[in-house]
Amino acid sequence: MEKRIFKSIWIWVLIVLVIMVSFPLLAKPHQVNLLTEMIVFSLYAVSYNLLLGFGGLLSFGHGMFLGLSAFTTGAMLQRIPGLPFFGAVLLGTLIATLVGLGIGCLLLRHKGAYYALLTLAFNALFYAIAIKWQKVTGGDDGLPIKRPNIHLGFTQLSMSDVTVFYYVTLVVIGCALLFCWYFTKTAMGKTVLLLRENEERMQFIGYDPSISRLILFTFTAFFAGLAGSFYALFFKFVGVDAISIDMTTTALLMTFIGGTKHFFGPVLGAGFYIYFQNFLSDVTDRWPLFMGILFILLVLFVPRGLSGLIQSLVDHLRKTKN
Amino acid sequence: MEILQVKNIYKDFSGLEVLMGVNFIVKANEKHAIIGPNGAGKTTLFNIISGKYKPSSGSILFKEKDVVGLPPHILNHLRICRSFQITNIFQNLTVFENVRAGVRSQVGMRYHLFKTPDRDSKINARTEEIIEKIGLTEVKQRLAHELSYGQQRALEIGITLSSDPELILLDEPTAGMTREETEEMVKMMRSVAENRTLIIIEHDMDVVFSLADTISVLHNGTILTSGKPEAIRNDPKVKDAYLGEE
Repeated sequence: MEKRIFKSIWIWVLIVLVIMVSFPLLAKPHQVNLLTEMIVFSLYAVSYNLLLGFGGLLSFGHGMFLGLSAFTTGAMLQRIPGLPFFGAVLLGTLIATLVGLGIGCLLLRHKGAYYALLTLAFNALFYAIAIKWQKVTGGDDGLPIKRPNIHLGFTQLSMSDVTVFYYVTLVVIGCALLFCWYFTKTAMGKTVLLLRENEERMQFIGYDPSISRLILFTFTAFFAGLAGSFYALFFKFVGVDAISIDMTTTALLMTFIGGTKHFFGPVLGAGFYIYFQNFLSDVTDRWPLFMGILFILLVLFVPRGLSGLIQSLVDHLRKTKN
Repeated sequence: MEILQVKNIYKDFSGLEVLMGVNFIVKANEKHAIIGPNGAGKTTLFNIISGKYKPSSGSILFKEKDVVGLPPHILNHLRICRSFQITNIFQNLTVFENVRAGVRSQVGMRYHLFKTPDRDSKINARTEEIIEKIGLTEVKQRLAHELSYGQQRALEIGITLSSDPELILLDEPTAGMTREETEEMVKMMRSVAENRTLIIIEHDMDVVFSLADTISVLHNGTILTSGKPEAIRNDPKVKDAYLGEE
């Protein structure tokens, strides 16, 4: 039984991989761009769901890690001439991770409402800094970014090419997503799940909840940071939107739309959100209104999200088949 | 040799004095029962020894080291482990996963970001061993909340045992059990306590007198007396305070 499920998962992975790899050959550039954006936001939403769905921690500060990394990537590319593509990504991700570690230390003992409010406060703080520290962040004007090309020794990859940037994003973010999935199987991932289940008992069998939460928080900050760096490079621009509370809410919406119970729920959520937003913003300027209505409908009628909906469909089909 | 020395423990909850100078000694490999009427402070005492509460004053020496006020997970690393009066298990996990959580903690695989514990043969073998000891081999893949009450109580002990403790604290392990289940539990406790020290809170006097090497009577927040079961049974003070009520 377990083996069959295992096999079918790998078949799905293969199918998705083939579609993803061949997509640029069949699609138009703007569609490739759209898919790139979806991939970047998938990682952002998945990292958020590791906190919310797996850790049971409602954070309102996830946007600050995406934003911090995006601004660091932008500012460093502007200031350090000849900084390579992955050097910029690394610096952005590193700063987000370190700040995650620092804030994580301050949040150690908090849960529930206090935790949510404190993360919100930190996010607001970084937003204020981004607006005021114009020298580095460009303030309200934001930072334009030039994507550096990747030098491979024998050849160089032109990052201004939509398809090349798509493939680089697919490989890097794809690996990051796989590692996040693997995380849920590791000792640490299991510890996170068990702590959500019964924190008291975990303490009495030797687990320190504070350390676990700190590791989880830093871990998710790292991946939000990685997403943030690619966010900046994708848009070739960082504005204060990247670090706003709205950005945190975006993660929350994507995660809820996709469903928190499944690992790949937020990937679906991110894809749906980006596609829908793109579609709506072509039709009307008031797209957030429709997005809000959609969100309300989903929470009311599909509380387990798209992945939950698919799961019930699959279960239903299996039942009728038997 | 004493493994645990409880010295002059006081505890008050915002003015309500629950423990007023508790003193007793537990010898290594002893089965030590703590009895006393409801509200005597037995569970509070357990919560202090196991690190859930800090006492207002007093000290606790575990193998000559002062451990008072240490958090539960550190006490667990020192191999002091407890069970709970109200079943405190991972309800939505299988029996196997419940026990494995403790086993992997004991071998130090708590926060590893790269290793996966599911296929670790050493951890799994140890888990199987414990599940066999608590008699749940047949239901090891069942979710904890699907088990009968007696089985859940056994699992409660299994999780406690999974940390391979030197000192086991059991808080009313037979509470709410039928006669047969209680007999099974007593058998299990005997086998579990081999080469370990056991402290048990228990209301069932048959269990206490058949299991314990030493009995301490807690009354009005202090230890009335400690001694061998026969001495306790015949102690007029104990009869007055507790046993006589029956």
